[in-house]
Amino acid sequence: MKLHGIGVGSMVYGVGYGFARPDFATAEVEAAADGSLTVWSGASELGQGLRTVLCQIAAQEFGTDYQDVRVVSADSEKTPDSGPVSASRSTYVQGNAVLQACRDLKEELRSLAAEMLKADPSTIEFSGGYVFSTTNPENSIAFHILTGQLHARGRRSHGFGWYDNHTEDVDKETSQGDAYSSFAWASQLAEIELDTETGEVTVLRIASATDVGKAINPKLVEGQIEGGAVQGLGFALLEDMKVERGVFKNSHFSTYILPTAADVPPIDPIIVEVPDPKGPYGAKGMAEPATIPTTPAILNAIADACGKWLKSTPAIPENILHLLGVLPDERKEALSIKDIPYPPF
Amino acid sequence: MDDTNYITMELTVNGRRVSKHCRSGRRLIDFLRDDLNLMGVKEGCGEGECGSCTVLLDGKAVLSCLTPMEKAIGHEVITIEGIGSANRLHPLQEAIIEEGGIQCGFCTPGMIMSGVELLARNPHPDRAEIIAAISGNLCRCTGYQKIVRSIEQAAQKMSSS
Repeated sequence: MKLHGIGVGSMVYGVGYGFARPDFATAEVEAAADGSLTVWSGASELGQGLRTVLCQIAAQEFGTDYQDVRVVSADSEKTPDSGPVSASRSTYVQGNAVLQACRDLKEELRSLAAEMLKADPSTIEFSGGYVFSTTNPENSIAFHILTGQLHARGRRSHGFGWYDNHTEDVDKETSQGDAYSSFAWASQLAEIELDTETGEVTVLRIASATDVGKAINPKLVEGQIEGGAVQGLGFALLEDMKVERGVFKNSHFSTYILPTAADVPPIDPIIVEVPDPKGPYGAKGMAEPATIPTTPAILNAIADACGKWLKSTPAIPENILHLLGVLPDERKEALSIKDIPYPPF
Repeated sequence: MDDTNYITMELTVNGRRVSKHCRSGRRLIDFLRDDLNLMGVKEGCGEGECGSCTVLLDGKAVLSCLTPMEKAIGHEVITIEGIGSANRLHPLQEAIIEEGGIQCGFCTPGMIMSGVELLARNPHPDRAEIIAAISGNLCRCTGYQKIVRSIEQAAQKMSSS
């Protein structure tokens, strides 16, 4: 018989390190005479798209073309320290550092533009590759002419940014307080089919809504949401790390099973934008938040389908048949997490 | 005494005739990366389970980590370097960029070669055929959905051009 179930998984996630732990990022930016920009970022690119996002931030700040920005990232010989890329913090913390570096350099550019345009520095704006005063927008300077003048006149062409994201610790007695500077929220729905004869669980569809604050690059955010859902699906249905006495016993792709394209249902990525007051343009961390709710959503869908809760992952057919009582109970007990010897030595 | 055996590898790689005197008894991936410097051929697991090292051997997708180099003698090999250039990308490479079917990039060359083989033998694949064609290529980042869409988009581009 095939049972059908729908489950919800929801989470709240503290972005960054929180609890008074060091949490900072450093950035530098330089405007070359030809108007191109170089950003030095301590945070590394893992494929999540950080370089793209930092290019976008710099281009946005200077009103120039994204193509004219390059990012030098995570090279201890060249870039300043920004701490690790973890805790879904890079767009938030490194993005803010780049924003500060850009705004630091903009002060110098603004004062030079004010001199050249004979305008008040506070009225200077950067947009569409031009710099102008809002009092007389017709009289503008091309951005690359301004940066050329910056170099020709020996003015500062370098900006520096350091963003501190550390928070106060919670109260020692009551554990109350704002442990993190930003919280991300996510909720997912999973629809499954459970075959009571084989024990196989098939995920039919996942809907994943993540509060990202502001999607600086919506396509990259969708990529994080879809990839996160598939990692969560793997954790729910397939992945089972077996460690004995400190040795990883199934360290091959034939024994530690990852989801393939054939295991993945249609995923609807839903971008929720509630601007964060401190994030760059309102953005907040979203990568791990997009991963966390998938497994509980699938396990809740299994419970919805068969009326029983699976207490450990993965929901491989064998474990489902134990859960349904098709296979004997003593094996089911052996699957309980409390029976795994710890520590393993 | 040096008992290393040598062989002359004569074959076509990415449209060029190659004749290279080199150590024998290695894998095709070693010959492509170490002797021909074709670093787009990625070694993920080295045991035929991840698909990162996929290349085309006479138009058929093979795992270069499981293929003895001698098997390619007299045959034609195409790697990711052979399907397009930075100025003139293959339609599937263009589609991968446009759809966002790439994150860390390690699976991408193998994924693209599997897609290129599929599109050569089946210019109008449906979604199930695309999924079957790339189901031997593992990706940990993207969730596959955007890669599948990239191949669909490439099929459209190639049929309209």
